[in-house]
Amino acid sequence: MIPFELAEPRTLKAAMKLLDAGDESVRVFGGGTALMLMMKAGVFQPTRLISLRGIEKRYAKVTSGQDGSLHIGALVTLSALGRTAAVKKRAPVIIDTLRTLSNVRIRNVATLGGHLAHADPHMDLPPVLMALDAQVITAATSGARTLAVADLFTGYYETALARNELISEVIVPAQSGRRSAYVKLTTRAADDWPTLGIAVSLQMNGDTVQDARFVVSAATEKPLRLPGAEAVLHGATISDAMLARVGEAAAVEAELTGDARGSAAYKTELLRVHAGRAVRKALAA
Amino acid sequence: MQTHRTITFTLNGRPITAHAGNHQNLVELLQGQGLYGARESCGQGLCGCCTVVVNGTAVTGCLTMATLVDGADVRTIEDSDGGQLDAVQQAFIETGAFQCGFCTPGFILMTRQLLDAHPNPTEDEIRHYLAGNLCRCAAYTEIIKAVRLAAKKRKG
Repeated sequence: MIPFELAEPRTLKAAMKLLDAGDESVRVFGGGTALMLMMKAGVFQPTRLISLRGIEKRYAKVTSGQDGSLHIGALVTLSALGRTAAVKKRAPVIIDTLRTLSNVRIRNVATLGGHLAHADPHMDLPPVLMALDAQVITAATSGARTLAVADLFTGYYETALARNELISEVIVPAQSGRRSAYVKLTTRAADDWPTLGIAVSLQMNGDTVQDARFVVSAATEKPLRLPGAEAVLHGATISDAMLARVGEAAAVEAELTGDARGSAAYKTELLRVHAGRAVRKALAA
Repeated sequence: MQTHRTITFTLNGRPITAHAGNHQNLVELLQGQGLYGARESCGQGLCGCCTVVVNGTAVTGCLTMATLVDGADVRTIEDSDGGQLDAVQQAFIETGAFQCGFCTPGFILMTRQLLDAHPNPTEDEIRHYLAGNLCRCAAYTEIIKAVRLAAKKRKG
């Protein structure tokens, strides 16, 4: 790595000001693990980095909204998120997902804000948060914005964040009885990057699906909702035949790309087979 | 441009003042102090050979910026109670939970963390907790036995 300057502001406001300075290579970071990897590989060579670790403690806390929502500060580490009782109660799919997300040491320092801002399409929580209809709150000297997590990702490692903007908070709305699951398919170790990720969230009325969100990741430029698969689920009664149609619709609709962890054809077959299983996993949640 | 700075931290109980570059990682900083127990192996946070405990929390040394340990309590495998081996180290020896030993410091430190959090871990908990540590000699069966034995020894 090449030498760089490191700023450690004590407030979010000071961090935003430092981001405003106009230097193209300036980045903020939380845990810094993903950034370190990019710097070690030489694909990112900053002149200045801004550590957010020292800013106000409230950005490293999870609070429970009166309405059943979760307000997760961007600097909450993935380990802390996994230990939070309110998360377990209100969005247990997050806890389940964290189990095989990288490893203990990375989870100890990696933050939720960084996990999202990095926008690697192989990451596990983005599709889950999309299925939960979560939002991010961003901060910049020009003002705050609220964005759906689904709208945060614009492409491969690309986000809708402006150069001087950072994520300050993630809001998971009240799930009101929705059932959700994440299926992480790996071809190497269980905690490896997924070959394919499927996140599903269902609002059921007895055996009938009232509303469904179906998200695929890791084989796409960014995590994607699949409206075709969702359309098969809407208003349908759960049966093996219906779930096979969900898999078929997903496989036809998703234009998956191959990588070192599987060809496009292989991943498409995984999606065809596991779409229904993901729905079953959500129903059992 | 200020790319280096003088930091102070506690290393295995001793106060240290060091000059470090922001671009250096924690493993490099420790090597400057003559400690080689944390070693960079995969360089990507996957293998656990560079495990270091910072303020009581296990981190990936090779992905931690050295200057960020300013003011912290840093513990490595070299930290010991007057040269005495602890229950985890004893258990690894008794079960033969290594061959070449390259990964062992990381496994020992992570096992201590595991047992601090889960004094009586299930096999599933052991496997998940240590999934981020790789042993290329594949002593995994013995390592799991060592963790169980260490848990028993800790209870006394």
